[in-house]
Formats: sequence, structure tokens, C-alpha cells
Amino acid sequence: MKRRSLVMAVATAPWAAGAAAQGCPALVGLSGVGEINLVGNSFRAISHIARQTESCARPGLKVSFKLTPNARTETEQAFASAGRSPFDGAVVSKGVFSSLYARGQLAPLTALVDKHRQRWKLEERMLVRVEGEVMAIAFMQNTQSLYYRADLFERHGLKVPATYADMAQAAATLKAREPALSFPIAQAYAKGFDCATDFINVLAGCGGQVFEPGSAAPAFHGPAGVRAVAAMRSLMPHMTPNALASNSEDVGNQFQQGKSALGVLWASSATRMDDQASSQVVGRMQLAAAPAAVAGGPSSSHLWWDAVVMPRNAQRGPDAAVRQEAAFHALMQGLSTESVRAGNDLAIWVRSDWQPGRGGNAVELAKAAGAREWPGEPFLSLAHGELGKVLPQALSGERAVQATLDAAASAYRKIAVEKGFAKA
Amino acid sequence: MKLRSFLGFSAPSVALMLLLLALPLAMTAWLSVRNCAFDMELATVVQTGPFGPAKVTTQRAKVDASGQPLQVCSFVGAAYYRKVLGLEDRADAPGGDQNEFFGALRFTLLYVAATTPFVLAGGLLLALAMNRVTQRLKGLFIAASLLPFIITPVVGALSIKWLFRDNGLVPHLLSGLGIELYWMAQAWSAQLLVVLYGVWHTLPFAFIVFYAGLQGVPQDSLESATLDGANAWQKLRYVTLPHLAPLVVFVTLIHVMDAYRVFEPVVVLTQGAFTTSVQYLTYHVLLQEDNPYKASAAAVLTVVGIAVLLIPLLRKTWREQRRGG
Repeated sequence: MKRRSLVMAVATAPWAAGAAAQGCPALVGLSGVGEINLVGNSFRAISHIARQTESCARPGLKVSFKLTPNARTETEQAFASAGRSPFDGAVVSKGVFSSLYARGQLAPLTALVDKHRQRWKLEERMLVRVEGEVMAIAFMQNTQSLYYRADLFERHGLKVPATYADMAQAAATLKAREPALSFPIAQAYAKGFDCATDFINVLAGCGGQVFEPGSAAPAFHGPAGVRAVAAMRSLMPHMTPNALASNSEDVGNQFQQGKSALGVLWASSATRMDDQASSQVVGRMQLAAAPAAVAGGPSSSHLWWDAVVMPRNAQRGPDAAVRQEAAFHALMQGLSTESVRAGNDLAIWVRSDWQPGRGGNAVELAKAAGAREWPGEPFLSLAHGELGKVLPQALSGERAVQATLDAAASAYRKIAVEKGFAKA
Repeated sequence: MKLRSFLGFSAPSVALMLLLLALPLAMTAWLSVRNCAFDMELATVVQTGPFGPAKVTTQRAKVDASGQPLQVCSFVGAAYYRKVLGLEDRADAPGGDQNEFFGALRFTLLYVAATTPFVLAGGLLLALAMNRVTQRLKGLFIAASLLPFIITPVVGALSIKWLFRDNGLVPHLLSGLGIELYWMAQAWSAQLLVVLYGVWHTLPFAFIVFYAGLQGVPQDSLESATLDGANAWQKLRYVTLPHLAPLVVFVTLIHVMDAYRVFEPVVVLTQGAFTTSVQYLTYHVLLQEDNPYKASAAAVLTVVGIAVLLIPLLRKTWREQRRGG
């Protein structure tokens, strides 16, 4: 396989380079700009985009894309800067988009999109519009899906779980019949980001909401929140005792090693399951929509997107317009149809040219099962952070569920006031 | 020395210390008693994107005439200190009072207390052993011993995590002996894991300092001791160790400062489960709560915590210096 990948890489490299060269003539005449600086998280798909944008460099124009695990902080600081932003553009998740938009730090892109839409074949669904104005261009989507070992399910005549109760039942059956599967379920319950994300997914599956509608007041500590924690805990007897320290990477590893047979995980991890170099379950893992927390409810999952944005504070200085246009073209090269084709398997791209892999389009599956978009309130990250910090106490049984959720709600209210999202 | 020459010699380093140490600390203290927030107003907007149109509740910062978002800044006094210490929340903390700061402080102090003796003793033993290795192999052994210290903490912690997580080498070997242990599943083993990492990562630092110290042990004193009939233990106890004593203080000082700020192994090995440290809370305030002002209060408290821990060591050094002077 390694040799085949190498051959593929060698065969596709000149084509990819050629494609890049074809796309970037848009930058002809904009060479005097000097340097364009972009920033994004160091994921594989974003690294691919970074290489594509950097291929736009030419004499008189340097394009440098900073890949960093701290992209959020760096982007927020740059976009908030009183002077000109050190970055001309950034790749952000929907959550970061929401807070940048709330602070009025994003440059509207409507004029640039209207001017160059044909050249870059920008599809309407890529355009993130707020009240009609284009504020970001989405390129990548994701969701959490149910991963399950199709071979084992078939061998034991199991149906694909539609609810959390089905998951627990399937796990019990598998444990009884497959001695190698000591912990049939693997799911990312690690303290912090992972368990809070899972909670918000299951909360939606229980019909709950994070906030009171149209307000910054918390609602996650109501009866639906308690049911959500109960649903999460119902899977724990079938999970590794290390669950509260297991992040997505660990869960992917459990699946790859064939130690776990089902669980909800990011759809973007699907390619890892078929990686011959590290996976022992190549071709055996299948994806379905995340189960509902309660029978008849929506899928306990959300839909996510990542997008490119440009800062309002870059629109300063005599060359601002030219710089912005050059940065726009470099970013669009990263999001181009050629770029998507070259990096087809790296992400679920928001382009009609994208070809779904073996697992199909997980985002469409989630949508069909009733999953909604990840909440877009700019204060969500505050609630998410507080939940992530205390939920392990409820999951481990160390603290009563209601008391834990109340503690998160109370902490959230205080920091929302500190940040100006709520009044004392 | 004339005052003029003294000032001339010391001014550059004093200026640098003021610029790089005192000034940032003063700024942090200044930030910690303030708070700035955008003046937000609630709005419901129609947002379209990859998943179609949706009504989204958002907040928008009010802007001034030039379109700049308006920030409201105020003096908050010791409010953030009280919040970080968990003093404000005691009355209305729902469902059983759990002061997370003191929980974090307890683990942090446990980490400092548990790692320090092992780092000192292990470093000394390794240095003594290395001193006996033949000259030809020394370079190789020293390089190998320093590796854990050279590796970036996050990378080091990741490699340790991979040894201990599910299906890792250590649980695999232990299960061969009939011991089923899930290291991140309960407080004692999760904390032990972080302590183990701390010792593994810092021991080489103690080793290299002690090893350098051993090269300066006066040979004539050792020879005199031999002539007086001292055995190996007595030579170590009465000649070598007194010679290394200032270095022991130095290594302890540096390690205590470093250990109080334990963060990477906590985040990487256990994601903070059962091992929340003081620095983890500061990180949470800065990045999750996105509040640099409260994080500054947490940072100042970290400095205070370290200073308190260092008082006995600093007093000892101060006395020795005075005696020496």
C-alpha cells in the first residue's frame, strides 16, 4: 500500500501543480502586493489548502500560510488588533466565525464574490450570508456519525442501532459473543471539548437546547440535560474505564485496533479506518447517522462547517483593496475545484465536485436523520467550556447530575456577564 | 568599586530585567484588576450557508462612528482574584460546594512534593553512575540520558500516553502478569502517571547539573579522606554531598518553579481528568472563557504561589550569601 500511495503521489503531483498554476493567473497584475499572510489550524485538510494557497506565490508576491494548533487565538487577536491585522485571511470553524462576526471584526466579502464568482465557480451553498451579506466562504463540513463493525453486526444478526438503548443492547450482545471485544463501545468522553460536544449532541437528541430561545440564558440544565447525561452514562459500562480521558484520537485508535465495534465519532475520521498502515479493520467499518438518544427523536449529532474569512481591520492603508483582492484569490485557489479534486479524501468538501468515499456522504445521512446545525450563538463556547470542565464529575458519578449541570449553568452565567453577553 | 562604575556595569542587566520581567509582571497585575467587554446587543439574524437558511440568535457589538466595536472597560479591584480563588461562589454554589481552585492547588502541590525528591535522588544517582562510566561511552550515555529533557513536553507526554493508554505497551505487559489496570480511570493512577512523567522529564536536568558539579569535587579532599580510611559511603556523605549542596538548592528551586506550572502532561495524558492543576485552570480562563483579565489574576496568583513555595529555599540561599559575603 505504501508503494501504491507513493506512485499515486508521484502521478498526481505534476497534475496538482499544473492545476495550481492554472488557477492563479487571477493574481497577474497583483504582484506588487508583497506578502499575503494567512492562518489556520494544522489539520490535514487545512494543510492541503495551505499548500494550494502558497502555490500562488510569484515574483513580487509571497503567500505564507501559518498552520498552528492555536489558530483560534491567533486569528482572534489579529482580527481584534487596533492596527492592521497581521493576517489577511483565516480558516475558521463556525464557532470562531460566530464570535468574530458578533464583534464586527469580519470584512464583508459580497463585492469580491460578485466580481469573481464565475472564475472560482463559487456555489451558493458555499456562501455564508448574514442578512444577505457574504461574511465567509464555507468549504468543509463535518458531523459525528455512528461507526460500526459491519462484519460483526452481520455475523451476529444485529441491526444498526437507531437509539442509544439499541447501542447498549448491541454492545452487550457483542461482548457476550466476541471475547476480543472487551469494550464494544468507544466514544470521545474526555474532559473538556470532547465530553461537552457529546453532551450538546445528546441534548439535541433529547429535544433540549443549550440556551433559552432568543437569549443568552442557559437552558442546558433542564430536564433534557439530565436525560442527556443519563443517555451518555448508559453507554459507559460498555466503554473503556479510561473513557473520561479518551479523546477522538484515542477512540479512532480503539476502532483501528479492532478493540471496539461501535460508537459516535467525527465523520472525517473515516479514512483512518481504511488506512492499511495503521488500521486492522480496513473495509470493515461502516458509517450511519448517529443514533437518537430517545426513540423517535432526532439523531444525536450536529452539522459543522469550516470557512475562510477576512478581517475588517485589513482594510487600512492605501494598498488595502489590492491586498484584499490578492488574499481573496490565494484563498480561493485553496478552495478551488482543482484543490478539492486533489484532496478529495481529506474532508467532506462543500463542492459538487467532491466524491464521497466508501462511507457515503455522512453529512447527508445526519441531515436526513434530523441533525441540525451546530448552535451558532457567539456565547456558546463559554457554555461549552464550563460544561467540559464539570461534566466528568456527573459522568463518573462523583457528583449528582442536576447539581453538576446547575454548577455549569451558574458558572456560565457569571462569565457571560464578564464578557458582556449578559447583564448582571 | 566606585558607585559610578557599579551602576555602569549593572545598568544593562537591571534595565533588561525591568523590561523583560518587572514590566510584564506589572502589566499583568494592572490587567488583573480591570475588565473590558464589548457592548453587546442581542439580535436575531437570518444566516444561510452549507445547510440552508436558519434564524440565528447572535449578539452584535455596538460600534462607534468609525465602525469600531465599542468596548466598556472598568476597574474591578480584587473581584477576579476572589473568583479565581473560588471565594465568591461559595454562597451560591449549587449541589455541594466544590472549590475547584483548592482542588487544583492540592494536586499541584502533590505533584511538586512527589516529583522533587525523585528528581533530586534520581539525578544524583545517575550522575554518580555516569561518573564511573568509561570515558569512551560517556558521550553516548549522557546524550541518551538527556533525551527526555530535550524532547518537547507535548511530544514527550504523547509518547508516554501511548505507552499507557488502552492497548498500550504497559497495560499489555501488566495484563500478562494478571494485572488489569486502566491508568486514566481513577484519581490515584491518573495522578501517578502525571508524576511519573514529571520525574522522567525533569530527572535529566538534575542529572546534568549534578554531573557537572561532580567534575569539580576537590580530588585532594577525596584522596585525604581515602588516606584517613574513609569508605566510599563516607566520602560521598562527607566530601561529595557537601560540595554539591548549593546545586541541590539550585535544582530544587528551578524544579519547584517549573513543577508548580505543570500543564502539558495534564492536558495530554489525562485531559485534566482527576489531575486538574492550577495552570490548567489559568489556561481554561484564558482560552475557554476567553478572558485575559481574569487569566491575569490567575497568573499573578501563580507567581504568588511559587514565591510562597520558594521562601524557605530563598532564605537559605540568602543566609549563605550573607555568610559568604
